[in-house]
Amino acid sequence: VTRPRRDPRAERSALLVANAPRPRLDRKAPASSQPVPAARTRRDLRAERDARRREAPSGRFRYEWARSTPAAATSPTPDRLNRLSRNEPERVFLAAPEFWVLVVRDTPSGPPSSADRGLIGAARRLAGARGGVAVLGTGGGAADLFGDAGADRLLPCDPAEFATPARAMAAVKRAADALHPRHVLFGDDPVAGGDLARRWAVRQRLPVATAVVELKEAAIARRAEGGTAEHAMAPAAILALRPEAGVAFAGPPHEATLLELDPGEPGPAASSVPVPLPLDPDAVPLGEAEFVVAAGNGVADFAAFHELARALGAVKAGSRVVCDAGHLPRDRQVGASGTVLRARCYLALGIAGAPQHLQGIPEVEHVVAVNTDLHAAMVKRAGLAVVADARAVMPALIQAARSRRRTRPC
Amino acid sequence: VLTVVVLLSLGRHPASGRARRSSLDARALALALTLPDASVVGVHAGEPDEPALRDYLGQGLGALRALKVPAGHDPVPPLAAELLALRPDLVFAGATAEAGEGSGLVPYLLADALGAELVPSAVNLTVRHGTCEVVQALAGGRRRLVPEVPLPLVATVPAAAPAPAGTVAFARARRGVIHAVACENEPDRRPGPTARRPARRRPAAGGGTRAARAAGGSALDRLRAATETAGEGGGRLLVGPAPEAAAEAILDHLAAIGVADLGSSTAAADGAPEKQEG
Repeated sequence: VTRPRRDPRAERSALLVANAPRPRLDRKAPASSQPVPAARTRRDLRAERDARRREAPSGRFRYEWARSTPAAATSPTPDRLNRLSRNEPERVFLAAPEFWVLVVRDTPSGPPSSADRGLIGAARRLAGARGGVAVLGTGGGAADLFGDAGADRLLPCDPAEFATPARAMAAVKRAADALHPRHVLFGDDPVAGGDLARRWAVRQRLPVATAVVELKEAAIARRAEGGTAEHAMAPAAILALRPEAGVAFAGPPHEATLLELDPGEPGPAASSVPVPLPLDPDAVPLGEAEFVVAAGNGVADFAAFHELARALGAVKAGSRVVCDAGHLPRDRQVGASGTVLRARCYLALGIAGAPQHLQGIPEVEHVVAVNTDLHAAMVKRAGLAVVADARAVMPALIQAARSRRRTRPC
Repeated sequence: VLTVVVLLSLGRHPASGRARRSSLDARALALALTLPDASVVGVHAGEPDEPALRDYLGQGLGALRALKVPAGHDPVPPLAAELLALRPDLVFAGATAEAGEGSGLVPYLLADALGAELVPSAVNLTVRHGTCEVVQALAGGRRRLVPEVPLPLVATVPAAAPAPAGTVAFARARRGVIHAVACENEPDRRPGPTARRPARRRPAAGGGTRAARAAGGSALDRLRAATETAGEGGGRLLVGPAPEAAAEAILDHLAAIGVADLGSSTAAADGAPEKQEG
């Protein structure tokens, strides 16, 4: 561009003679011969683009569009230099955030689960651009996964410390003493995060919001009144988030660095450590079951069906026909007039899939169907459909399950 | 003889909004009444004249102490004072209240005031030689045992606990006594919610289940979500395989989606996560 650009705003502000009670412009004043200097700096998009131009090892040019951090906030950690030399996208590194949001995972070991990602993403949203997100519990060398999820610091913590709530409280206290977080986020499982959140709130005399179903930077909504209403409020210091409040973080990845804490006083000795009890599939309410094997009209041998459920460790269920015939009790019936399942997997043996039956499995993610009819609705609904006679498949399935259990490395 | 206190709140029917006994507190009371050699006292903070309170008496409770706490006042200090006077060995409460905030914080505050242990999600409990064994309910119908919990103990009772057997006995409900107890009250100064709206179904994080994904769609979308495998790349179909091949395919599929991981048929030490056999 060769001719000088006009800046109408600057020209207008040069003519301004009075601002109160209203802006007055004197348009009759002699226009200055000099061009009015631009009041705001113009972006030079070409220069910006050229600054981002990188030469890839292959000799081709490419443009690095990942958002870079202000120079003051970066520190060339060895990790970061390695990453830059490997030409990986630059990660956002917060050296000294204004405040912290602490995330307490339900189990402080292993890579982040989808629930953890939701929790960390929610913390990231709460922290905004100026706050930092710290996660209690390392990921066993998976720091980048936490960084992708939006975490800035990882606080190492022994998973054995979360065996009892009293010991977990000691770990949370150590983290809180080091960071003085503005918010502490927990899950809402009544025997894990929800329990710890309430204990921590009572111990610190801080306000707590449990059963949070929606989280924004300045407002939260929580389930109340027996689950029939939602209450909106400002974010409390301690939050117990239900899974639906989790928001996966989609922004540029952060650099999650390890923050060593001084060990402090050790937690109380492990007493009353919970022991998992063997799952009794017959005692599990159908609505709570995770893996259900169901029999329909295509099943004749119910002794084999019970044996199959035992071999697979699955909860038994049946269609209406089966329960009407008395092969299974009424509380094992799936469908519109029975139970609506929330299982992860449903193995349907000899069930064609009447609409009333399918209404009982809308939430089930994985359906496996064994049916003689290729055109049955259950075959259409299934992720794996076997068009075969369930009476023949059941004994083979029992035998295969038993032999797998025997050969399983223990 | 064990002294057992059950905290009984006034519930609210989710559809009609009428006052009723809280379903979780009724479970807590049923659990307390199954304990052998125990004297069970019900304690309520609120309005003593509420007719729905008599439903608890009809469940088999002899007497109920109702602390007069007007609406808008904090129920925790009077309850704490009452518990300190009763010195119970065991305190039961529903996990959350059915009316009002329902944060589930009251048992924790009372356990703190009593200096008692707290065990959440208790579905069964055995007292032996001055300590307690508590069975806790976890997600997915799993259970775990918390051994040797010292008394006094505050236990919260979840929806997974067995529902009270039988109906409310009318004559018992009439015969039972509600003692109205005067107490010192202080207004609840905590800030309330800024807005209230009816609860709505929210999709779970990460897209949620197929039903949740189709919840906002048309009737046809919802029917398809209920009846067809859409968006999962279609189902795999095996037509007329040998029973053994079908069994292997099903078990491989179950292992791939992470349920019923029985190990592979090739018996390779693949370092799969160990799973408790049930």
